[in-house]
Amino acid sequence: MNKLRLMPIIIGLALVAGIKSSWARMDHEGMVMDEKGMIMNANSDKLPKDCPKISGDVAITIHAGRKHALKFNGKMFAFDRQEWDVKPCSRINITFINDDQIRHQLMIHGLPGYLYPQGMFHLELYGAGELKASLIMPGQKKTYLVHCELAQHMEKGMKAQLKVDGGDGDLPSIPGISKPVRADVYPVDWNNSAVAVMLICLLIGTLLPVIVIRNR
Amino acid sequence: MTFRYFILFILLISALTAVAVRFLPKTLQRADVIAPATVYHQSEETLSLEKPCSNEHPEWRKEQIIEDVKIAESLSCEPDNPYDIAAMVKGVNNVSMNTLMQTNLADDALIKTDDLDHDGDPDIIRIKLEVVELNGASPDGNFLINTYDIAPGIQPGLWVYAPKSRGMALKNFNSVVATPFLRAPSPTIRVEQGDKVYITLENTHYLPHTIHLHGVDHPWHNSQGEDNDGAEEHPVFPGTSHTYEIKPRHAGTMLYHCHVQTAQHVMMGLSGLFIVEENRPDNWVQTFNIGAGKVRHPSVAVQKSYSQEYDLFYQSIDKRLSAIIQGANDPRLIAKRMSREYNITESFENYFMLNGHSFPFTLRDGMIVAQENENIKLRMANMHRASAAIHIHGHKATITAYDGVEQTEGLQLTRDVFDLAPGQRIDLNLDTQNDGLHSYGPGAWMFHDHAVAGTTSDGMEPGGNVSILAYKSLLDEQGMPKLHDELLSQLFNKDYYAKKKAVFEQGDFAHLLGDPGLIEPDLTQIIIFGLTSGLALGLIIAITRLYKRKQHQ
Repeated sequence: MNKLRLMPIIIGLALVAGIKSSWARMDHEGMVMDEKGMIMNANSDKLPKDCPKISGDVAITIHAGRKHALKFNGKMFAFDRQEWDVKPCSRINITFINDDQIRHQLMIHGLPGYLYPQGMFHLELYGAGELKASLIMPGQKKTYLVHCELAQHMEKGMKAQLKVDGGDGDLPSIPGISKPVRADVYPVDWNNSAVAVMLICLLIGTLLPVIVIRNR
Repeated sequence: MTFRYFILFILLISALTAVAVRFLPKTLQRADVIAPATVYHQSEETLSLEKPCSNEHPEWRKEQIIEDVKIAESLSCEPDNPYDIAAMVKGVNNVSMNTLMQTNLADDALIKTDDLDHDGDPDIIRIKLEVVELNGASPDGNFLINTYDIAPGIQPGLWVYAPKSRGMALKNFNSVVATPFLRAPSPTIRVEQGDKVYITLENTHYLPHTIHLHGVDHPWHNSQGEDNDGAEEHPVFPGTSHTYEIKPRHAGTMLYHCHVQTAQHVMMGLSGLFIVEENRPDNWVQTFNIGAGKVRHPSVAVQKSYSQEYDLFYQSIDKRLSAIIQGANDPRLIAKRMSREYNITESFENYFMLNGHSFPFTLRDGMIVAQENENIKLRMANMHRASAAIHIHGHKATITAYDGVEQTEGLQLTRDVFDLAPGQRIDLNLDTQNDGLHSYGPGAWMFHDHAVAGTTSDGMEPGGNVSILAYKSLLDEQGMPKLHDELLSQLFNKDYYAKKKAVFEQGDFAHLLGDPGLIEPDLTQIIIFGLTSGLALGLIIAITRLYKRKQHQ
């Protein structure tokens, strides 16, 4: 009896699952999404205007999660690497792996808007898992921001940079690479040796003119 | 120089010094016959003013049906997104891709399945919540990020629970403003009595948190034998998740809140209404009410007895506590300052919010809109650190439930001040029949905390949780109260709440009650002081040089 009662539910669930699977990989204005995550503005074949052809394929695996922040004091979330450098017109085949049980994103900004709406390439994983997508970088020598845009994730460490042809400089606040614009303030460790060095320098500074005058 | 001259010089210097001291110019000065003129604040020409209503989505106000979900009219300036409501009633898994794309919800934010009791509505509900920081710090400059204004120019650091979302947390990449979906207060959560509910906290924040289901029927352990009470000793750390499981047997107005470093985390905003609706056939409840306020798809039981329903959530902020997250980026510094340096026993509240806004922003989405002869259900919760005493002008409403427990008719009190201890909830029946008792008739009636600090924002009145119970005829087409134009143009002004503007600088009274200007300096006094003090200084230098010259001779 119970089994019979459960049958409509099982059928219902199967139908729901069916509806769900029709969503999977659904394409909506450059967006592909399913229940695990989404990909926006992937591009594996359209060439940027300044690229006559793809110069080569680069495979990059990017891990995201709190364990990657352990090597940076005062950060909570991070990618496993903070910098990549590729040749102009490279096709980058990204494997994005989320090592946490929460949502993380991999966004690349500043791309040409005619290929990537809003200049953005966006991967998002709703939890632990993996996504693969490609994009073709323009030929210009430039540094692109790579980050997770969840509130406070970039601010707390999930920030990196992608350089094309060596890039045009470092972005600020990249963990382990560049200084923040607005750095935190910490108390100074006035230990014995620091105090001793200061006292000795004071003594030298005081005595120096006296010695010089005496020797003249 | 003889000794006699030396004494003379000393006496002269002393006399000059005495005169200089007597004529010392001051920063404050008594007025003469005419007091200083009034100065006028020129903010009308600056960026300090904002439109009372930006009217971004007028099409969201009307009654409509999306995905077979009937969504009631909402006349406020900032109505809830009806597509959000459809997805929050049906579950993300039961709406079309087109509807889902009009929302910010992740595909797994709210899954509704299995009509276990065969009464036409789903009974297994899977809810996922994230923790979002608003008005937080950035290492990239002296600005706040994911900003959310509670009132003109007021951006206190806040934490909120939010339904799991997808995409950007900012309005766009060139903006620091949070997407409107991410806001205070934490959303009201509604489930049906007897539903099997799985609430997963996915901690996207950089400090540990929990969800404690205050007043909601829940076993102490979940089916995995793990914590189900959300207490301090079972924190969910950053990057991890935990699922709480409930099958509430009792319906009523309850709460949920973080129980880690509770005093601070609740005051930072990690609390919201949790409502268990009575079990009824075909009862698809609106699982989230973003920003609380009007429930645009009330439950079957509520619709049977009431014409409308509103969630009214009161919370307060200590500006010193909320500034901690804006003063550093290192989570270790923030944790230390919040838990060990900040002392809540020596603190008080500065900002008071109704549904995430302080007046005048409460007029955008925190009003009650009524007509005559309605019975409106109000669910009120106080998450101040102190008691609240909510008073509705022109009306006496009836308390039908305390802390989610219905009262028998004899115990239902009709009052005009509702005292709410911290954490307490009441359900009210607001009866708008114009009988001189329940209602004095149509109007744009204020309602506010009568613990009077609650009507201020950092001491500036009118602010805090002041809002309006407006009869429909007194609203303009953008949902703002009529007859208040002059007041509104004065108050939707950052400078007013930054205390840079005179309170009564209006119309004919601008001259009489504007800010007094600075007083003209007393030039005679300045000249005498300058000459005497200068002469005294000159004499001191001269006497020193003469003395040295004499010694060399």
